[in-house]
Amino acid sequence: MNIQAPIRLSAAEESLASQLDSVGAEGLATLVRDKGLPTRRVESYHYTDLKMLLNDVPPLASAAQAGGAPATDIAGAYRIVVANGIVQNSGTAPAGIAVGTVEGPVMASRDDLIVSLNGALGKQALGLDLTGDVDPVIHVDHRFEGAAAHVLSRTRIAVAAGAKATIIETVSGSDAAHLGNLATHVSLGEGAEVTHIVVDMSALQARQFSNLEYRIEANAKLKSVMINAGAALARAQVFADFVGEGAHSDFLGLNVADTDEHRDITLDISHAVPNTTSTELYKQIVRGRGKGVFQGKITVVKDAQKTDAKMMTQGLMLSDEAEILAKPELVIYADDVVCGHGATCGDLDETSLFYLMSRGIPRADAEVMLIRAFLAEIVDAVENESVSEVLTDIVERWLSKDV
Amino acid sequence: MSTPMLEIKNLHVRVEDQEILKGVNLTLNRGEVHAVMGRNGSGKSTLSYVLAGKDDYEITDGEILFNGEDLLEMEPDERAAAGVFLAFQYPIEIPGVATMTFLKAAMNAQRKSRGEGELSTPEFMKAVKEAASLLEVKQDMLKRPLNVGFSGGEKKRAEILQMALLAPQLCILDETDSGLDIDALKVVSEGVNKLRGPDRTMLVITHYQRLLNHIVPDVVHVFSDGRVVETGGKELALELEAKGYADFDAETAA
Ligand SMILES: Nc1ncnc2c1ncn2[C@@H]1O[C@H](COP(=O)(O)OP(=O)(O)O)[C@@H](O)[C@H]1O
Ligand SMILES: [Mg+2]
Repeated sequence: MNIQAPIRLSAAEESLASQLDSVGAEGLATLVRDKGLPTRRVESYHYTDLKMLLNDVPPLASAAQAGGAPATDIAGAYRIVVANGIVQNSGTAPAGIAVGTVEGPVMASRDDLIVSLNGALGKQALGLDLTGDVDPVIHVDHRFEGAAAHVLSRTRIAVAAGAKATIIETVSGSDAAHLGNLATHVSLGEGAEVTHIVVDMSALQARQFSNLEYRIEANAKLKSVMINAGAALARAQVFADFVGEGAHSDFLGLNVADTDEHRDITLDISHAVPNTTSTELYKQIVRGRGKGVFQGKITVVKDAQKTDAKMMTQGLMLSDEAEILAKPELVIYADDVVCGHGATCGDLDETSLFYLMSRGIPRADAEVMLIRAFLAEIVDAVENESVSEVLTDIVERWLSKDV
Repeated sequence: MSTPMLEIKNLHVRVEDQEILKGVNLTLNRGEVHAVMGRNGSGKSTLSYVLAGKDDYEITDGEILFNGEDLLEMEPDERAAAGVFLAFQYPIEIPGVATMTFLKAAMNAQRKSRGEGELSTPEFMKAVKEAASLLEVKQDMLKRPLNVGFSGGEKKRAEILQMALLAPQLCILDETDSGLDIDALKVVSEGVNKLRGPDRTMLVITHYQRLLNHIVPDVVHVFSDGRVVETGGKELALELEAKGYADFDAETAA
């Protein structure tokens, strides 16, 4: 028999359990009381021990108005504001976009407390049904407003067969120690072509969980970009399931971390059918005592022959106290596949710096040029110009910050 | 007599506990073109890097004066702004940095350090276009990231293009001829010759005499085992080609 000794609950765990009680999610409340938050002993949280890192959970958010202008304005975009998890009036939707609200969890249930919390505590989800060639960029503007709150925000995006769309979700809001939990499910119908970008720009004392889930049907094409550029503690999880043959996806992402920030992207991709391909490119740039974590797991099931997956992670360390942890992992059960992974980590290349300086460019400017060059691959991957400009802006803002 | 543009006095340089330069003495006056010839491994590139300010080197003795000022005290970017330019033997590829962005940044940084305003985009474009056509650098090359995917010869041409745009006082050309075919060698040499003038000094490093048929030097130095072992006129290059380096090595030993 396996009897677990009762654990000592932290303040954060106590709050979570009582919040779950308050919405009648007894099962999950019991789970929290029994097991607590994931610790480093849970493999996928090995470098992001939530019991250690999450000190408190603020009260559940109440409805709020989005304050002020968006953190980033995308030229020509159709913007939908979701304030403290509630969809605001979104005006008349352009052709091909049906906007609604959806009840219940948006992501598949899985063995992950953060995903489960979003499912249990979230009130409503923004629902987007996209058909045809959707012209404007769709900007889902998640705002966490008011005093520090535990905010659940969710989006369910269904892209019809053959449809094309570019969607960017941003997280921003009031300058408070929010605990954000974002969940987005994107389903790509046959032959759909989607660029989906999530940028966390939440307040620097906030804690932010971003959970992305993709279901990719036959011959669909996805480009997914996850950028962690906010919050003291940011953890993004990217789940993807290839469920139809002939699909291709490019997964990209970026952690930028300063001072004592902790930024994590954890990837879990499953090639579940034959003949699907993917590339994964995740970069991390850290300075001060910032910490960047990337875990990338690609699973190729037994029958998924001819899978081609190439994962790369690169880290740039701009200070001695900064830290980068990277763990790429391939789990392959099929025998006829082309899969690979690589990881590099270092500081700026001295030889390149010398070359630039020897042409009269001062060291600080030369460094910025090389950092920009490092980041360009992620930002330039986004074809839509107004979106890639916005991403460049976000990166530039980070670069120009004094540390 | 006016101050020489470059004076290298008894320069000793170590890399990782190995002495590479063993007492180099060179004086280059304004407007002169000097060639430094020496076999592979004799320390020519080390000398060029030390002049440009690469910091992997330990200067154990000697000094370098540029227009009378202590060059070794200056950062690489300060040296460039003061008018030193090194055309690298092996130019670096820098993915993610657009060639044009780089050229503009370099030109403007140098202008700024001289207290001049930034170039306007049309002025910049015009300057690049002119230099590019002189050196037969294709527009397509300029659209690529810095040196990325350039052939050996293209890289050398791009170096001279940079040199033409930055108009330095002291041009150090480290084996600019290697990797160039005869036609390219002509184009590049013509480009270099156009830059010759009473206020510009050149240090042309090579181990073949052939470049010196095109860029005719005023002075030739033979370099062996980390020092200058012989100095003469342009005929010294021909002598070296005929006799080989071995005779000069013997002189070193003597
Ligand atoms: N960074 C370095 N580390 C170790 N040895 C070096 C380094 N740079 C140059 N050397 C050595 O110094 C000597 C001279 O090299 P170099 O200056 O490149 O000669 P050249 O340009 O005349 O061919 C060679 O023996 C080379 O191996
Ligand atoms: Mg050399």
